[in-house]
This record gives sequence, C-alpha cells and structure tokens, in this order.
Amino acid sequence: MNIDRRRIAINVGAGFVPGMNAVIMGTALAAAKQGWEVVGIRDGFEGLLQQDRYPDGGLVPLSPQLIENLDPAGGGILGQSARIDPFQVRTVNEDGMVEEVDMSGDLLARLKAEHIDALISVVGGRGLSILYKLHRKGLNTVCIPRSIENDIAATMVSFGFNTALSVTIEMLDKARQAAQSARKIGVVEVLGAQSGWLALQAGIGVCADAVLIPEIPCDLRAVAVRMKEKISPRRPYGLVVVAEGAKFVDKQQSKAQKPSLKDSLSPLATGDASDHVIQRSGQMAEAVAERLQLLIAEETYPLVLGPWVRGGVPTAVDRQLGLAYGAGAVRALNAGKNGVMVAFVPPDIKFVPLAEAINKVRTVPLDSEFIEIARSLGIFLGREI
Amino acid sequence: MKNQSSSKSAPTGIVLNIQRYCSHDGPGIRTTVFLKGCSLRCKWCANPESIRKKPELSYDPKKCTGRKCGLCLKPPFPEGAFYFVEGSDDNVRVNWDLAVDCDETHASLCPTGALEMFGKVMTVDEVLDEVEKDSSFYRSTGGGMTISGGEVMLQPDFAAALLKEAHDRGLNTAIETACNAPWANLEKVLPHVDTMLHDHKLTIPERHKKWTGVENKRILENFKRAYETFPDTEFIARTPLIPGVNADEEHIRAVLAFIRPHKNVIDYELLPYHRFGLGKYESLGVVYELDDYKTPSDEVVERLRAIIDEAFGRSGQTAPAQK
Repeated sequence: MNIDRRRIAINVGAGFVPGMNAVIMGTALAAAKQGWEVVGIRDGFEGLLQQDRYPDGGLVPLSPQLIENLDPAGGGILGQSARIDPFQVRTVNEDGMVEEVDMSGDLLARLKAEHIDALISVVGGRGLSILYKLHRKGLNTVCIPRSIENDIAATMVSFGFNTALSVTIEMLDKARQAAQSARKIGVVEVLGAQSGWLALQAGIGVCADAVLIPEIPCDLRAVAVRMKEKISPRRPYGLVVVAEGAKFVDKQQSKAQKPSLKDSLSPLATGDASDHVIQRSGQMAEAVAERLQLLIAEETYPLVLGPWVRGGVPTAVDRQLGLAYGAGAVRALNAGKNGVMVAFVPPDIKFVPLAEAINKVRTVPLDSEFIEIARSLGIFLGREI
Repeated sequence: MKNQSSSKSAPTGIVLNIQRYCSHDGPGIRTTVFLKGCSLRCKWCANPESIRKKPELSYDPKKCTGRKCGLCLKPPFPEGAFYFVEGSDDNVRVNWDLAVDCDETHASLCPTGALEMFGKVMTVDEVLDEVEKDSSFYRSTGGGMTISGGEVMLQPDFAAALLKEAHDRGLNTAIETACNAPWANLEKVLPHVDTMLHDHKLTIPERHKKWTGVENKRILENFKRAYETFPDTEFIARTPLIPGVNADEEHIRAVLAFIRPHKNVIDYELLPYHRFGLGKYESLGVVYELDDYKTPSDEVVERLRAIIDEAFGRSGQTAPAQK
C-alpha cells in the first residue's frame, strides 16, 4: 500500500456523543500533515450505501480550510445513523417487501471506487464487532472507541465518557438539591447497563449516600439500614445513585426487574437474561425507590438521567482525547497498522487488534481504587464485601 | 421463492412452527402452521423469530450451563461468536454479529439445547401429517388448518400447495396475512382459502410506513381486490391495538368504512397489544423497537369494540389477544 499519498475516510457509528468534531479535526489535521486527503462519510455508512439520499453527496471533503473553521465543541458535521451495520441493511425490495440485505460487498466496492484505501471509524462496542467483520472481509480500518459508559475493555477511557461523567455530576448535584428541598431520598438512575463506571465515579463526585452498580449485586435491606443511619433531623434527605443495569442479591428483590430487551441491543449485553435485566430506561430507579420506601420511614422518589447525558458541551478532557484519538488513528495508518483500535493506556496511546478489543466489557473490578475511594468517603455500595 | 423446491410433487417451504389447539386463528379448534419470513417490520411484532426468511440460530440462556461447558467457544463455532465476560459471571454471551453464520450443524453441537434453529424445511405432506393429528377436533368444532407467519404470501407456491392439499383432504383452511405482496402471490393462494384474517394496522400511509416499513396503498388495494375477486371467501379484518400508535377511534372508524361495503367481510377483531414476544427478541439478538409501549387499557379496548359492535349491528363480543 502506498502511504505517501493516501485518501482516507472517517465515519461515526450509532449513538450520539458530544464533541465528535474534535475527533474529526484530529484526524483531518494529522492526515493533512501527512499530505493525505480525508473525506467524511455522512451518517455512518449511509453516505456511501444510500447515495440517493444525499443530493449534495454522501461524502464530505474534510479540507484544511473546512477544518480550520470547525468548532471542536460541536456535535459532529458528519451525522450518524441509527445502525452502522452494512451486513444487515433494511431495505424495501422491488416487490415492495421489507428485507435486510448484506451490503458489505457493495460498501467495500464503493470505498474502492472512491479510491478510499482506509477507514477510521468512531464506534462503540457493537460497532467494533461490525468493523472487525468488515476488516476480515478486506477493509483497512482503524477504530476509535466511543462509549458514554466507558465499557470498552481495551482502553482506559473511551471518547465521550468524560463529558457524560461531567454532565451526570452536574445533574446529580441538582437532584440532591431537589431532594434536600423536598426532604426525601432521591433515587437517580444513570446510564450503565453492564458496567458501573459512570454511576461510581459520578457518585463519588457528589458524595452520594449509596451507589448501586451492576458489578456489586445490592441488598436493599442493607441499603435501607445505611440510609437510616445517614438520615437525621439535621439531614432529612438522601441521594442514591443507581446504574440502569444494577442487580439485586436475592430473587425476591429481583422480581422488581423484568426480562430484558435492551440487553439484546448489544452483543456485549446479550445472553444474561436470567439475572441481569433492564426493561427500559427508568425501570431500575423505580424499582429501587419503590422497594426502599417499603423498608424505611422516609419518602423516596425516582429520577432518570438517561439520554440527558448524551447532550451538552464536551469537556476539555474529551476535546483533548478526541483530538488525540483522531491523530492517533492517522498515526496507526501511517505506521502500517490495520484492523486495530486506538486505545488510551496511560500514559500512552496504543493500538489494540480488533480481535482482542471485541467481546470484552470493561467492568469495575472489586479491588478497584475507585471502590476503595467510595468506601473511604462513606458511600455505601449496596452491600458489605 | 428461492427457498422452495422446484419439484411439483413435493414443494417445500420453511416452517417455523406447527401449533395445535389454537382457538383464535379462525373458526373452531385449529392447527396453525407458522411460515418463516415477513415482508413488514412492525415494531410491535410478537413473533420476531418469524421475520427473517432463512432458518436462524437462537440462544436460550436458561438452558446454557455456561463456563462448565464452553463448547461454543471452540471450532467449528465462528471465532468470537460466543464469549464470557471476565469478572462478571459464568454465563455465555453471544456476539450476534459474528454468530449470524451459525447453522443447524452448530446448533446440534450444543449439548443442552441452549442453541437451536428457528425454522426448518418441510414438505406439504410432512406438515399435513402433523395437522391431521387433530382431525377429530376439526370435525367437532368446525375447525381446520390456519397458515400464519411471518407472511404467508412470501411462500405463495408452498402455501398454495399446502392449502389445496388440505382442501383435498377435507380440511377447512384459513390464513393470516397482511397482504403486503404482489397480487400474483395472492392469486395463487386465495383460491384455496376458506377464511382470510387480515390486518388493518394503520390508516395514514406515512404512519403505516413509519411503524411497519412500507406504506399501505398496495395493501389496501389487495384487500379490496381480494374481497371482490373471491366473494365466497370469508374475510375477518383485524387490528393489533397499540396505544399511541393506532388505538384510536379514528382508525377504527376508517377501517369500518373500508370493510363494511363488502358483505364477505364478516367481522372486525381487535387484538390488544401484548408484550409476550419480548423474550424472543433477546434469544435472537434482535432489537425490539417498541420497548416503552404499554398494553391498552380494558376501557379503551371495550370502547373501541363497542364501535365495531355497533357497526356490525350486535351487542358485545370477546375478541382475542394479539397474536
């Protein structure tokens, strides 16, 4: 492959994350420095696979002039699709029947026709699997990890997590003020289907009374005991942070949870229906608030942050990380890497083979320093270990 | 259909399931034959295993022994298709993007049956041999065989052969269809049908497209043409009732206005939306797009049924739940 003069593309997978322009800028600036041309594919792969939807073209030339005027705090000029799966593109055939067709071959052919010899994809856990499949089919690709929950195992920090953490802390502060005002216990559900990083770190950030995460199945009776200890006439309120994928220790408490569907959205989450269940956004906050109220004298009420944390202005950390990941992906291509994911393993940016990056979930280890910090601050983590 | 045999003597189709003792799929006690493959993508679908045309793998975590077995982590299973999450539990996870190429060979290797295939190729005789096991019930209740789906009209040659043979064996026949198919397909199937249950899902074309994947112009044309071309066939209109989507008086009245001029449309049933199919989505790794919707209240259902009863000149009926 001639790396002296290349034409590369960048696209963004499903799931909105603030500040995507930073990644695009990092890629474009680093590529321009190599003398490479960069184009952006609109809306995942749709800019290439459904070109008729884009009268002005499904590809966006990311020229240095355009990049200079791009706001790194912006949400992303390339857009995204609800799905980034060229292996199952929903379409209506000539007989007017809906079907899913494998357009991965078309995708590779169109990339070739556009003289694009490598693709940088900003994707989450499932997107990594799809890009891995495309890579096995011949696509030259470098992936950039994006995850609000920070659950991609091969990197210490995924793009988007820091902003989500910041917004979550801000919202939890407000929730606590509301709880204080109402003299109740606020039970706030935050994102985190499988890993509790967001709940744990945000809970630490606001010194919550309790934080319930999927990694530590909780005993609501123990939570109730701890809340009784914390609540007093001088402090007649409380704040419980619960990850949407939190689990209960006993079956009776688990009855509050119903069979999962959201699990099936992600290959990382599928197959654990019997005891790891999320019905819908808000279900966990409702279950915990309702059951906790039966165990204590105080009133509880559920709040759900959910998609609120997907918006906002990216933090300085995410802006830096986005630029670094974009530039890192170009560096990977320049070094002849292919089929890898850029990873931040402090203090280095590393390149992890996609085969090693997929099918792994970055969960909170029970001996994590964050667990210790939380305990030191008096935050109850659902049960004694 | 590509997946049907060209042999006229033994046409084959892909059958998802044969369910006996059904009481809501036409008159009397019936055996319902579910065919695989659908031409719509209704967001509320309770039978996701019927959507895709080809046989496909499913995974039931309750039957899986997890780490104790681990057979699916080794060849011949595709690399990365099955895995464990370290530090979590002993349950197998399925990477559905990589497991999509698994077939019967793979499923047969699972010692506990946690992996199995939805859908198998069957001949007309194989299906009818199963259906005829309950012939005595059909005779005593006026029942028979119903073909459902998926969409019957996606396998028109097989469905036609099956229905014709059922008639030849003296069985009453019914189909459940949304009629989103070329008229040529309907023309093959309908001559062998005694009762056609058909869905009026939404009235407004663009809303129909939003919730099912296509507009309803051709569907309505097919309904009307079917009513007129097959005057001796009984038609029963149905609506899967979903709050916030179509559980409103306007839709019900629009359907009534469409069907009432046709005397062979003998009834209009409401099928209150239920969530029984949700677990199946998980076992298939399929996205369920109607997660936050609730079942309609009894009050709403009764109010809408009263409108239908009034239009049909009767007082009260008990309609079945959504299929």
